[in-house]
Amino acid sequence: MLKDHFLSLILFSILVSLFFATMNHRDGRGFWRSFGKTMAWMVLGSLAFAYLMLWTSR
Amino acid sequence: MPQTFPSWKAYACALAALVVPGLGHWTLGRRGRALAFFAIVTATFSLGLALHGALFPFHAPNWLYRLGAVAQAGLGLLYVLGRLLHWGHLEAKEVADVMFGYGNTFLVTAGLMNMLLMMDVYDIAVGRKA
Repeated sequence: MLKDHFLSLILFSILVSLFFATMNHRDGRGFWRSFGKTMAWMVLGSLAFAYLMLWTSR
Repeated sequence: MPQTFPSWKAYACALAALVVPGLGHWTLGRRGRALAFFAIVTATFSLGLALHGALFPFHAPNWLYRLGAVAQAGLGLLYVLGRLLHWGHLEAKEVADVMFGYGNTFLVTAGLMNMLLMMDVYDIAVGRKA
């Protein structure tokens, strides 16, 4: 399970998103918004960049 | 008005994070945040080791590993303990592991997170941040 690349991406994104949301927000709503935004950028951005690298390498 | 500390005390609170991640926030009375940061940083550190990442020595032959060592040293006592107990030992079979790069990323990030925590504690202690 720990050899799964996508799982590593998800775990890393969760930890980093939690870290910055905890540091910058005290209210629950702001915390979860920040967490969600950071997660989305990290996961979707990484996937987009990965596909871009795949397409440009062909 | 947030409580502000004299400079020496602010530095002492900030450096407490080098002993245990989150301890700096604990000394400022932010207990919930302290526990959250402790959990996040140690989870990142533990996952880094589980993914066969290495704790780089300062005398590594590769300049990139030496830079990584500087980042990982931000963990303070965790880094020192890990090096002494040979956790994440840099050797050929670990480097060959497919998850080696990911493990290193987790370990370096944990160190950088702790450095950010120290800066956050200092900002709170001197009244720059509420």
